[in-house]
Amino acid sequence: MNDTTRTAPTSRRDFLRLAGATTGSPALLAGLNRTAAAQGGEPVIIGCPAPLTGIVAADGIEFRRGLEMAVEEINGMGGILGRPVEAVFVDTESKGDDAVIQAAQRLIDRDGASALITGYNLETGTALHDVAADAGIIAMHANTVVVHDELVKSDPDRFWGTFQYDPPETFYGVGLLDFVKGLEERGEFTRPNNKLAIVTGPGVYSINIANALNEKAAEYGFEVSLFETVNVPISEWGPTLAKLRADPPALIAVTHFYAQDQAQFMNQFMNEPTNSLVYMQYGASLAAFREIAGQNSEGVLYATVIGALQDEIGKAFAEAYKARFGENASPNGGGQTYMAMHAYAVAAALAGGPGAPYEEDQNRLVADRLRHLIYRGPVGTMRIVPETQSAYCYPSQTKDPSLGMPHIFSQIQDAAADGVLVAPPPYNVESFRLPSWMQG
Amino acid sequence: MLAGELNKHLAIALVIAVGFAAVPLFVGERYLLGEVIVFFIWAMVAMNWNLLMGHAGVFSLAQLLFFACGAYGVAMGTQLAGLSIWLAIPLAAFAAMVLALLIGLACLRLTGAYVALLTFAIAEMVRILIVTDTHCFALIQNNCQQLFGGSTGFSRFSDFGFRPILRGDWIVGHYYVVWAVFVLSLVALVVIIHGRLGLAFRAIRDNVGYASSRGIDRQRYQLIAFASSALLTGLAGAVYAGHFRFAGPSLFEFSTLMFVLAMVIVGGLGSTWGPLVGAGVMMIVVEFAKELGDARSIVLGLSIVLFVVFLPKGIAGGVGGLRAIISRPAGQNRSTTATDTHQ
Repeated sequence: MNDTTRTAPTSRRDFLRLAGATTGSPALLAGLNRTAAAQGGEPVIIGCPAPLTGIVAADGIEFRRGLEMAVEEINGMGGILGRPVEAVFVDTESKGDDAVIQAAQRLIDRDGASALITGYNLETGTALHDVAADAGIIAMHANTVVVHDELVKSDPDRFWGTFQYDPPETFYGVGLLDFVKGLEERGEFTRPNNKLAIVTGPGVYSINIANALNEKAAEYGFEVSLFETVNVPISEWGPTLAKLRADPPALIAVTHFYAQDQAQFMNQFMNEPTNSLVYMQYGASLAAFREIAGQNSEGVLYATVIGALQDEIGKAFAEAYKARFGENASPNGGGQTYMAMHAYAVAAALAGGPGAPYEEDQNRLVADRLRHLIYRGPVGTMRIVPETQSAYCYPSQTKDPSLGMPHIFSQIQDAAADGVLVAPPPYNVESFRLPSWMQG
Repeated sequence: MLAGELNKHLAIALVIAVGFAAVPLFVGERYLLGEVIVFFIWAMVAMNWNLLMGHAGVFSLAQLLFFACGAYGVAMGTQLAGLSIWLAIPLAAFAAMVLALLIGLACLRLTGAYVALLTFAIAEMVRILIVTDTHCFALIQNNCQQLFGGSTGFSRFSDFGFRPILRGDWIVGHYYVVWAVFVLSLVALVVIIHGRLGLAFRAIRDNVGYASSRGIDRQRYQLIAFASSALLTGLAGAVYAGHFRFAGPSLFEFSTLMFVLAMVIVGGLGSTWGPLVGAGVMMIVVEFAKELGDARSIVLGLSIVLFVVFLPKGIAGGVGGLRAIISRPAGQNRSTTATDTHQ
């Protein structure tokens, strides 16, 4: 981008800077592209450091697909103020902060990424922050960790450009207990006893959710009968299941989130099921879970704070996504980067165009637009909490479903189809069904 | 003879050191400087592993554990104990050496493949103990932090402190810190390999019975090799942690072990400079193989297999052999050419 092309939309940029929150949609981007002075054909590079191989590659591949689909759509609408968008991917190999930092730096310095957009990586949740801050660019991730919030709050002037476009994991623990309480109040579920079994993996995300459940269980009348940590990846669940069968709980919460491990749990659990609700964190939302577990997946509950909704927008996205990538593709994963890419494009267009790496002033304008944007995508509404630069959570942080990313609960009722959304309203499309293993 | 070899290799080390010292004068790109920093670190690990495996004949698979020990030492020293990173770095390297001595005392009663099995088992046991720990030792920024960092490890502890001083050029500061440790490591390795210690190591490696009969205590010298190699490897791990502000179990998982092992084998086991060249070659191979996804592991495995079969002494051995062929007088019997493996 040269100086001449950057000066053209100055007056509109000044106007929008003073405007308040903006509701974003693809139509808004198309409108902006029509009215804007074209900025030339230099492509806008979006870097995506994602786990394309390794233990969470199933998610990483969906992140790539979602981003690719969004880029195609944006380019179909004229790009960002006339500039085509190009996505570049670097594999982080499902490794830690060091791999993510190297991948991000490569995308900035080698590929000239104006922004980094990804889903999650198996890092501590803070790997992108310094890289983005040092290069003066935007980074958008869905690591779903509270440590992001704390870091941004600790130095907002340095971490102005890093956004977590979903809520942190802290809402999961209480959210699950509230969900079960709601089922009981509506008479859809009666707990056979007050026992709660928590099975967690070793990751901070899983542990924070497990600890939150552990801490709040008593307030909801539960007694934690088992708190088990498993080494991952895990395919042999025998020892854990033996403990569950020896002292059957009313609710089993598996907060370890790898889809393939959860599927193996269900395959082995169904050999001799206990009279327990089974809740699985996130992984069960992926097609890979149903593929591996087959019929054994039916009845499983899962939740996510960033999953494809089953309303008009979500369904249209899921259909287009599956038509593009095949029936086994998972809109829950792809929807994340898809929405983030669209939101970034709108914010960048509103700010007068994206800045190149190290063009901090222009990228700060884009960040400012993102901070004030309300973007409705297939996974819900992204509205950013200004202090933490994470998305608001509905219903935990806002009671207005149009102003927060919904913490959705789904149940797999047919192994051949995606799980159906059973809570919260107004996004629920089906009622909860007592799993087959609890009916007899 | 010994002093001549030592001086020759010290001169090579000096040329390498000066050459790399000049790199930031010509390269400003943060990614590229970052890659050279990573090269320094992996080269240190590979060269120290080569000292232990190639020169002292100890087939240890715990080298990455010592590397991780250095990194964890810095992370825990700065984040949990509040130490300055400049104090944490030598302490972490020292901790790696102590750990190596303990492991060495247990393992060096065995020989050959049994040492490999036991050292691998110990490293894997430590890794599993770390990743399965879920007990919150401290709450850092509202986040559960296990004593050894759990499966995600430690992050955001103190780095070398150049950001406020050098601002956008902070990586140049990191570069010269790691370069200094790299040069220190090179000099120390050259002095060990081409000094009396190196001779003793190779005597044990080549014929333990003969070496013992000449008064060289196998266990004692192999323990010295274990400890000195771990000290320098721990130092590499410490500066790795200082550069990335990260220490986690991925530092000593199996794929990382294979990556560094490939550097040693491709470069030339038992040589002086081979693992340094191997580190560079493997980093370039991996850079180009980034687009290959899972096939990247096949490229790594294949390069090990090809080198073991066709060039068992690695690049260093190949170059040595080529030099011998070139300098051989015409008509000289092929069998009389000897390749010095520690070139």
